[in-house]
Amino acid sequence: MSSGEPDRPDVIIRVIARMLLGPTLMVAAALVAKGYAEVGDGFGAGVAVALAIALTYVALGGARAEAALPVLRHGPKLAVGGLLLALATGFFPLLLGEPPVSHRPAPGEHVVKVGTLELFTPLVFDIGVFLLVVGVLIVLLHHLAGRDGRDGS
Amino acid sequence: MILAFALAAAVLFGSGAYLLLKRDLVRVVAGIMLISQCALVTIIGSGLTRGRAPIAVPAGQAVSDPLPQALALTALVIGLATVALLLALVHRVVMVFRTAERDDLAAGEAEHEAGLEAQRQADREEAS
Amino acid sequence: MILSVALLVPWATGAVLVALDGRRRAVGWLAVAVLAATFALLAVLTAQVLAGGSQEVVTGGWPPGVGIVLHADMLGVVFALLSVLVLLAATTHEVLAGIEERVFPGLVLLLAGGLTGLFLTGDVFNFYVFFELAMTASYVLTAYGGGRRQLRAAMVFTAVNLLGSFIFLLSVAGTYRVTGTLAMLDVGERMAVVDPNAALLIATGFFIAFSVKLGLFPFHFWLPTVYAGSSPAVAAILSGAVANIGAYGLLRFGPTMFPAQLRLVGAAIVVLGAVSLIYGAVLAVARGDVAESLAYSAIGQVGYVLVALGVGGPVGLTAAVVYSVVNALNKTLLFLAAGIRGPLVAGAFAVGALSVAGVPPAAGFVGKLEMFRAGIVVGSVPLIVLLTLGSGLSLVYMFQMYQRAFWRAPAPAGPASPLPLRLLTTAVALLVLAAGVWPEPLLAASGRAAEGLLPGAAG
Repeated sequence: MSSGEPDRPDVIIRVIARMLLGPTLMVAAALVAKGYAEVGDGFGAGVAVALAIALTYVALGGARAEAALPVLRHGPKLAVGGLLLALATGFFPLLLGEPPVSHRPAPGEHVVKVGTLELFTPLVFDIGVFLLVVGVLIVLLHHLAGRDGRDGS
Repeated sequence: MILAFALAAAVLFGSGAYLLLKRDLVRVVAGIMLISQCALVTIIGSGLTRGRAPIAVPAGQAVSDPLPQALALTALVIGLATVALLLALVHRVVMVFRTAERDDLAAGEAEHEAGLEAQRQADREEAS
Repeated sequence: MILSVALLVPWATGAVLVALDGRRRAVGWLAVAVLAATFALLAVLTAQVLAGGSQEVVTGGWPPGVGIVLHADMLGVVFALLSVLVLLAATTHEVLAGIEERVFPGLVLLLAGGLTGLFLTGDVFNFYVFFELAMTASYVLTAYGGGRRQLRAAMVFTAVNLLGSFIFLLSVAGTYRVTGTLAMLDVGERMAVVDPNAALLIATGFFIAFSVKLGLFPFHFWLPTVYAGSSPAVAAILSGAVANIGAYGLLRFGPTMFPAQLRLVGAAIVVLGAVSLIYGAVLAVARGDVAESLAYSAIGQVGYVLVALGVGGPVGLTAAVVYSVVNALNKTLLFLAAGIRGPLVAGAFAVGALSVAGVPPAAGFVGKLEMFRAGIVVGSVPLIVLLTLGSGLSLVYMFQMYQRAFWRAPAPAGPASPLPLRLLTTAVALLVLAAGVWPEPLLAASGRAAEGLLPGAAG
């Protein structure tokens, strides 16, 4: 609520926003990594991170949030990069003469593992989706926070 | 259980429809959001099965049907995208019209209507 | 292979182009080139389907029934070709006129990707996903131009169509509930044995959802505001490409998935189509504004498609396909021509007007002819009277419009539009004429498409 000047939200919100960002990224990484055996996926991870970023926007306002986290200026690039990454993993099997959305290593083949994380192409797809969701929501937040009203997403 | 889902869907739809009839565009967007949530609840309610995830299931054990869950998830993603879009649109409407009321948007239409009437007048004069 | 590539090309390039500044000429032309490439790919696919029957790809190498099925048959490729052609014409028009917003080329390509996908899928839910991709792109496109009327049109279009999508999604949930599958062919087989009431309810849901897209009579309320409010190129895209979703959906879902329900309510569908036809024509005569008259004319023209669908059988379905194609071309031509001025344009508009009225050299004649054939096959006198009345009314409103736009002193018109723009419109007009003078390819393709829809057809 509006305590004091309108452009300076509560100090508590600002502190919490800053503190939450790191853990959220951790949770997002866990959501992507665990998605193949338990609950979680790239979309959920993306939304979680976007929520933390939204809180940062609320706490600091558009200009200061983007000064504090320069990556927020690259929302469109994140979104397009993520979409291309996802499309590439979806359609690369065409080059090998397989139907789209086949994955490598193919079923039954040996999979490299890092801890419990299996390294195969659906993981790349999920990371693409994650980037896409974060990117699109950053673009939206940027427009909603900005003062100019031109250029919808 | 299905009754619970049906009730939840009904409440969501009812509140959504109520909000849709409001003048404030932000409320209209909220109404559309609620109604799309109603579709999600319906999907889950209509395809609900209990059991383990269908990966390497021991024989004879119940399996939960993954398809309704996949449908709900996909619809959720699409819902997020459309809500984001609607919000951006409302934001732009507020920027251009300096208002979020539906009636003020219709004022432009009345002007257009007056222009048409003038044109019809010109037609009649030309004909006579 | 070509099937998947035709899907990938507009989608991937669309994703890249959204991020680039579309107001630059090069970006606009790149979008045109990509659309042309997609069109070429689809043309090759059409040739393959004509020669070797429909094609199918199951994603992920899964067995059919588990993986998502991409399915290219004649109906799908005809509609995909048509939509990409309309997008190509509208985008070229906009590039020549100067694009005003940076996201336009990318969005058109994403729309092309979504449309190609939904015409080439064999799975109800996948249809929904591509459908939403296409609709989301068109929601943003409606706001193109950024004026007050455009924004209002975009708000109305988005809100109404989201509710349409909601009804569609409910019907998908219902379909899965009663049949346990979402592959279109399997749904068609299993729908015969489910509770008739449930099946009818679901069929009605799909019918309403597609009618909203198409702007059929009781669900048309949003259409005039949107078509008249958006910029000419966008109106051409909405009426020539996006509205195809509704026509295709009715044709695909009706005869393949709900044949029994379609027979049951065939008469009601013919009546609804007739009401739409008369209502649209009468209001088009009554309204003054060119864009608004065209919008009401669109409501009337889709009435013909619905009448043909209600008549059913090989002749009715062929007529519906032919009429959808012809109508999409007409509307593209008219909306594009209505936005510009100068020599050649009046001629192009006249060709479009003749085509809507169904006068011989233009493509509309072929469409009307097929409609009359359908009317004669069912031997219904009222239907033939109705078709004649509709044609008469369309002649009246088209020439009223022509008179208003081109014979009146050029007070509001201003200077002539650039020559390339006028040449493009003339090219579209020539295409409409060509389809009328040499209709065999269109008729053959539509006949094949209708055959594939009838029960007992393989694939």
